[in-house]
Amino acid sequence: MPSRKTITRRVFIASAVLAGTALALLPQGAKTAIKIDLFKTLEAVQEVLFPRGLAAPSAIEFGATAYLANVSTHSSFLASDLRFLKHGAQELMNEYNNFLTLNPQEQDETLREFVNEHEVGENWVSFVLYFTIEALLSDPIYGGNKNESGWRWLNHKAGLPQPKVPYAQNLKGEVI
Amino acid sequence: MTYDVCIVGTGAGASGVAHKLVEAGMNVVMLERGGFYKEEDFSKDEIAYCKREIVTPSFEDAYHTIESLRNGKWTKKSTRDTESTYFNGNIVGGSSNFMSGYFHRMKPKDFKLKSTYGPIEGANVIDWVSDYNEFEPYFEEVERLVGVSGEITHFKYHEPRSTKNFPYPALDEHPISTKIDDACKKLGYVPYKTPRAILSKAKGERSDCYYSNYCGSYGCSSGAKGSSRASLLQPMLKKKNFNIITHAFVKKLIEQKGKVVEALYVDTKTKEEKNVQAKLFIVAGQAVESSRLLLNSKSKTFPNGLANNTGQVGKNLLFSGGGIGSGQFDENSMALKELMKEGLFVNRSLCDWYFYEEDGKEVKGGIVDFLFEHANPMTKATKQRFENGKVLWGKELQDKIYHKLNKTKQLNFEIFNDWLPTDNCFVSVDEKYKDAYGVPVANIRTGAHERDVEVGRFLAKKAENVLKEMGAKDINSSISSAPPPNLQAGGCRFGDDPKTSVLNKYCQAHEVGNLFVTDGSFMPTGGSVTYTWTIYANSFRVGDYIVQNQKVWL
Ligand SMILES: Cc1cc2nc3c(=O)[nH]c(=O)nc-3n(C[C@H](O)[C@H](O)[C@H](O)COP(=O)(O)OP(=O)(O)OC[C@H]3O[C@@H](n4cnc5c(N)ncnc54)[C@H](O)[C@@H]3O)c2cc1C
Ligand code: SF4
Repeated sequence: MPSRKTITRRVFIASAVLAGTALALLPQGAKTAIKIDLFKTLEAVQEVLFPRGLAAPSAIEFGATAYLANVSTHSSFLASDLRFLKHGAQELMNEYNNFLTLNPQEQDETLREFVNEHEVGENWVSFVLYFTIEALLSDPIYGGNKNESGWRWLNHKAGLPQPKVPYAQNLKGEVI
Repeated sequence: MTYDVCIVGTGAGASGVAHKLVEAGMNVVMLERGGFYKEEDFSKDEIAYCKREIVTPSFEDAYHTIESLRNGKWTKKSTRDTESTYFNGNIVGGSSNFMSGYFHRMKPKDFKLKSTYGPIEGANVIDWVSDYNEFEPYFEEVERLVGVSGEITHFKYHEPRSTKNFPYPALDEHPISTKIDDACKKLGYVPYKTPRAILSKAKGERSDCYYSNYCGSYGCSSGAKGSSRASLLQPMLKKKNFNIITHAFVKKLIEQKGKVVEALYVDTKTKEEKNVQAKLFIVAGQAVESSRLLLNSKSKTFPNGLANNTGQVGKNLLFSGGGIGSGQFDENSMALKELMKEGLFVNRSLCDWYFYEEDGKEVKGGIVDFLFEHANPMTKATKQRFENGKVLWGKELQDKIYHKLNKTKQLNFEIFNDWLPTDNCFVSVDEKYKDAYGVPVANIRTGAHERDVEVGRFLAKKAENVLKEMGAKDINSSISSAPPPNLQAGGCRFGDDPKTSVLNKYCQAHEVGNLFVTDGSFMPTGGSVTYTWTIYANSFRVGDYIVQNQKVWL
């Protein structure tokens, strides 16, 4: 419970060099892009990043992609963040257009290669992870943390009162 | 209709004075850019309050430009591009809703830094035109009305008090506090019990603290936290002579014949422009936004902004010097069941070096507050995704997250020392950068004096000693001149000389008789403490002055 706030970007990405420019100066329309389904791609990637563990729910199980599909439509989700999510997914699929057909082990190796070799790889993966963890631990009203599976895995006691409506609206769902 | 008084803002600085004026029967209206959240509207929603910051203006609506020193040149960046914010809570009650309520009084010498310690090269240190004795009754009033809980710790620099004890007993403490006490005893340090603006006992409509574990950055659902909304504004809502207009963003104060006659505002919901007339105007939008409003209120008589014919508005802005540090605790230092207890407070500080000796001479130091890392699970977990600067995933990441949330606890410390006023820290406006309402945004130059970091490092060593003595692992600290955006003061100094100050002793503008500024803007130096206790106390003080002299304006 700090009294000293630090100035941070909303989403802290790995490389300080790219911070601030990576998101702001994205190419507006990629040249010879293959057509991708953003959320299908994200779902596959998130399941690799957060697979089912002995006790841990997997990304699909706790609703990681459903969460992103939901929150990315709200006005508080930065347009530049959504652009970067799309950009990285596009780059991944441009490089590895068979990504969705690979088995989990191969997908994991492919992602590691993407991180090591592609300019946006590491930032993008850490970015996707950021939102994956949001989905794991946010209140279920946002569409992730399905059946509180994230909280139950981590023995997390939710702060009270829990929100009854998302985005700090009033009980009628209106902006206050 | 013409109100007696129109107040811009509803935070700590606005509400102390509002309380005094309304109690005295004056007809008061407050204008607040945000909405009105009550206890029942708040929740512990990390997404809404900490990630998407729903209670601050969106980047489309408003932003700041920040000038920082890069390779010897002042470089300007928009917070729209850096995606960071200098807004801290813009709803009724302002950022006081979201504070943690660590409360320290300034010390008598803080009011007389220049005459006590002499000038510092490169810093614009001056004495205050008021002193501790004048403030003391108001510090005490804050203890009662806003509510401060705690227990007096005697140490050599303790400020004089007119009452023996705090009106509310100390809050319940986590078992780690005893470990801090033991370590301090061994080191010969005084473990100082931190006063908090949190009720340990119910007061009127406000319930006592239920140790929700999510305090700073969250609104309080019990009313225990001493926000200006819960403590001062809500109790007045039934009064006929009091009115709060929400979603009212004040663009400009209109001046005629040397007096403010009207506040021009835009209803942020309907985008309609409206205005309010009053006999007396008070500005308290938090330091940066207050200077911005004056600088943007240009007129024939005040071509450089209201009350700014000597060019002082926005100058000598203050943040808080210091930084943060931490150490890790696990089952080796304490039974896990004890260590992982939630909600209880640490409430320990070090104040022994508020003043200290350097080269045989007393110099100004500061304080250390100990506190647990914020309970926010997402924030804790997302930090785990890097190891040695490389991104981590799969089982490795899952194990790390599990361990972090279940097996360890991080004890943090925060250092607060003076942010010396300099020519390189100020607010200005630039017609090139405007918000959604066409109003130039505040540009903030954030330069700091190098001395701030030296003092911060000295204090961090002491805090690290305590953590070491307690057996913490991975002890580190980060002291820098990065400004904490939520701890703002200065910009409209008070003083006797109109050439070097914006406000007089009672925070009335030298150049405009019916204009007061009552947030932290008046402070020429800030003390080595967070500012809110001082802001509340001063707001009460100015309130008394206005009530006593009301016939001048009404
Ligand atoms: C997370 C956090 C933790 C903190 N912890 C501590 C702590 O432990 N101890 C401590 O002492 N302090 C703490 N603080 C700081 C404390 O909240 C501030 O010092 C205090 O609230 C400042 O009071 P103020 O009146 O200057 O501004 P605020 O309380 O912010 O109020 C300003 C109000 O004015 C409104 N406003 C601004 N411009 C306009 C305009 N043009 N038109 C209409 N309305 C306007 C704003 O929307 C806002 O509601 C903390 C702050 C935060 C955010
Ligand atoms: S109940 Fe206590 S811990 Fe929770 S927000 Fe209120 S004051 Fe803070």
